[in-house]
Amino acid sequence: MTETPTELTLTLDGEQVHAKDGETLLDVCRRAGKEVPTLCAEDRVDPMGSCRMCLVEVEGQRRLQPSCAFKVQAGQVVQTASDKVKRHRQLLLSMYLADHELDEDDLPRERGTGNQLRQHVLDHGTGPKLPAINAPREYRMENNPYIHFDPEACVLCNLCVRYCDEVEAVSAITLAGRGAKTTIATADQKGLLDTTCEMCGGCIAVCPTGAMTEKPSLASDFREEEVVRSTCNFCGVGCQVNLHTQDNKVVRVTSPPAGETVNDGNLCIKGRFSMEFIQHEDRLTQPLVRGDDGALHTTTWENALKVAAQGLMGVKEKYGADSLGFISSSRCTGEENYLLQKLSRAAFGTNNCHQCAAT
Amino acid sequence: MFGAGAMTNSIPEIRGTDLMFVIGSNTTEAHPIIAMEMKRAKKNGAKLIVADPRRIWLADIADLYLQLKPGTDVALLSAMMHVIVTEGLHDRAFVEAHTTGFDDLVASVQTATPEWAETITEVPADDIRQAARLYASTEKAGIYYTLGITEHSHGTDNVYGLANLVLMTGHLGKEHCGMNPLRGQNNVQGANDAGASPIYYAGYQRVDDPAAQAKFEAAWETPLSPTPGMNLNVMMKHMGGLIRGLFIMGEDIVLSEPNTERVEAGMNGLDFVVVQDIFLNETTRFADVVFPAACFAEKDGVFTNSDRRVQRVRKAVDAPGEARPDWQILVQLAQAVGYPMPDYQHPSEVYSEMAQLSPKFSGISHERLEDNVGGLQWPCPDPEHPGTATMHTEGPIIGKAPFQTIAYRPSEELPDSNFPLLLSTGRTLYHYNAGTQTRRASGAIAKQPQNFIEMSRRDARKRGLDDGQLVQVSSRRGTVIAAVNISPRMKRGCVWMPLHFPEANTNRLTNDVGDPVTQTAEFKVCAVRVQPLVQAAK
Repeated sequence: MTETPTELTLTLDGEQVHAKDGETLLDVCRRAGKEVPTLCAEDRVDPMGSCRMCLVEVEGQRRLQPSCAFKVQAGQVVQTASDKVKRHRQLLLSMYLADHELDEDDLPRERGTGNQLRQHVLDHGTGPKLPAINAPREYRMENNPYIHFDPEACVLCNLCVRYCDEVEAVSAITLAGRGAKTTIATADQKGLLDTTCEMCGGCIAVCPTGAMTEKPSLASDFREEEVVRSTCNFCGVGCQVNLHTQDNKVVRVTSPPAGETVNDGNLCIKGRFSMEFIQHEDRLTQPLVRGDDGALHTTTWENALKVAAQGLMGVKEKYGADSLGFISSSRCTGEENYLLQKLSRAAFGTNNCHQCAAT
Repeated sequence: MFGAGAMTNSIPEIRGTDLMFVIGSNTTEAHPIIAMEMKRAKKNGAKLIVADPRRIWLADIADLYLQLKPGTDVALLSAMMHVIVTEGLHDRAFVEAHTTGFDDLVASVQTATPEWAETITEVPADDIRQAARLYASTEKAGIYYTLGITEHSHGTDNVYGLANLVLMTGHLGKEHCGMNPLRGQNNVQGANDAGASPIYYAGYQRVDDPAAQAKFEAAWETPLSPTPGMNLNVMMKHMGGLIRGLFIMGEDIVLSEPNTERVEAGMNGLDFVVVQDIFLNETTRFADVVFPAACFAEKDGVFTNSDRRVQRVRKAVDAPGEARPDWQILVQLAQAVGYPMPDYQHPSEVYSEMAQLSPKFSGISHERLEDNVGGLQWPCPDPEHPGTATMHTEGPIIGKAPFQTIAYRPSEELPDSNFPLLLSTGRTLYHYNAGTQTRRASGAIAKQPQNFIEMSRRDARKRGLDDGQLVQVSSRRGTVIAAVNISPRMKRGCVWMPLHFPEANTNRLTNDVGDPVTQTAEFKVCAVRVQPLVQAAK
């Protein structure tokens, strides 16, 4: 079914580069190490070309063309940093700034895990300052515990909507309104909880400006978070997660970039958000031993280990090693499962050792 | 089945497949990220066949949806085999080279016509034919299943049926194909791999194999028992009898095991119980000692996922109070009973001890996992080995794989006049198993605050029930209260409940009858009745 795409050659900023039929100019630019700024491009969804950030000059084309959607052709001559392209970028950024929430330095405000628009302004500069638009956008997605949307920081690149449609395929959010009122919303102006939204948080992950952010970590400054790469502890997919911590607390969970892991940058509601249990006040913090009154009482580790050892050995002496059972956990690590079977077999002498895989 | 209990292929292969046969797996809820790969494959043009009694989300985008009656999988699969062999769609070369017992299999499905299967499964015979033809005639076709296949009194037969389909069509040892059980927990695969099993040491080496026994006796410097132990379901049945003491790490057995009342009676019959967990739960009510453990974000180690991928877990925060990582507690308990378990300084030392004893993983180490950000998939026999994405590429690793003949038999407990509805149980997207973690998550609580029972509109109307109304659901074993959720996904006569709610524990209803081979309980089929909740007089 798959045919081998034909190789072709084009000229990129004066150099000959190779490409395959079907690739976009952006694919080629990235491979060649050209820095083409983007906002709405994302490998997991089809190109849309809506943000106009990645426009390049293609010889023979009257207008600049979006490199994310424009396909390569043999013999093309492409400029990624011509004066025309540079002027376009600066004017475009001026227009974005006129319709964006700015900080005290007149730069796009940073939220969530960064704002690519801010970086583009710093990297490419802007044209003349344009008067602020103050577009009257409504916010319609409240009534959910996790996802916050700030229309003032949105550049309407539609990436969140496309992710919701094409990757998660639940189509919970949509572009709504017309003209300057256009915004991201839900059908019938419902809260997200009342839509098909499954709260995977993919809209937050793909948002280039931080207009979509996580409510639980709104107050956390992402630049002060430490990041530890780990594996999600819920189902058997083995999604890779970055645990963001601050003051010994997990404040945010993100996915490592798409492309290198089994989850390809995606997470579900459990992996991204169901982490409240880690710091929950109900966590067990001390060993407990049941007293003569029938209740569990706190005790020292030394005593708890002693009581447990005596109790289990007592059963073994009275009824034999095979009267003991050791139930391990598919939630614990491989090393812990190894040690539990070793405990069961080597320390107590029974093969009555299992975990929930049977059920 | 073919020589290893795991997905034969890999999750990233799904997006390149041409056909997915999803049976007994509500993938979008139980494995949402794998479902994203399936959605992507569908978008790329792959065909999707879904077989499930509930009209699950995937059924909405399926090319062919088979809404079979719960517990009739064997009839469906037998009829598919019948179509394949009678129409000559099987892969003769593969069957010849890599299998045994084909002739017996052909004879056994002789009478299993789609018309016969229709009378049992309620799936139209033509749909069964079409499914069989599509699956057999598509080169890159994979089977994906989960507990909807295994949690039956004939779960082993269901798995054999799927394996037969894979073998007769030669969908093994090739990319984008295979037989793919999607694992329910983060580390089910890893727990099995590590030897948390009554019959296997780490690395699937049998306890009754004298050579394996001698190897582990030498490594652990102590004599070991060659007698295979009891599996969990057998232990549950012997509590208070042959089993007098339990050590339970990280599992809420009272909530998770079927027929709660019987489990509770068994727990009360035990002389001594130790529980090691991160929260108090239903099981700690019976514990004599409770050890506070660290959760996954507070310790180091590895999890092994569904596609045999060993990946690192890393400590991000400190455990609360005096809680300790499970591995430390296990070492300390072993030492407290006088067994000289070494003072491991880090789980990487434990892993290398296991890897040395287990040829399947001996090429994997914590060190190598630092450089392999995507994890390493076993078999990985030496430190130079890149890991194995697709298994059985040189033919089944057991050599010739045997076909297993199967015969349909009804589930153990079917609806009757007293208990007229057929209950299946399962998991939802928002909650996870015993709920100890997700019942503390605000989003999950907002979406699904309480236990519910999904039923068809006709079944609800017949009983005069409204959406959201509280009802009593009773089986021969117990009663729980749940809210009615009228759902177009349900087949008439069938109801469905999730298992995440301790205060309304669905397993008070479920049947603990087990599969004759694995003893896996029949969570997917039991008979219940549903009545409006009678309010106590005020």
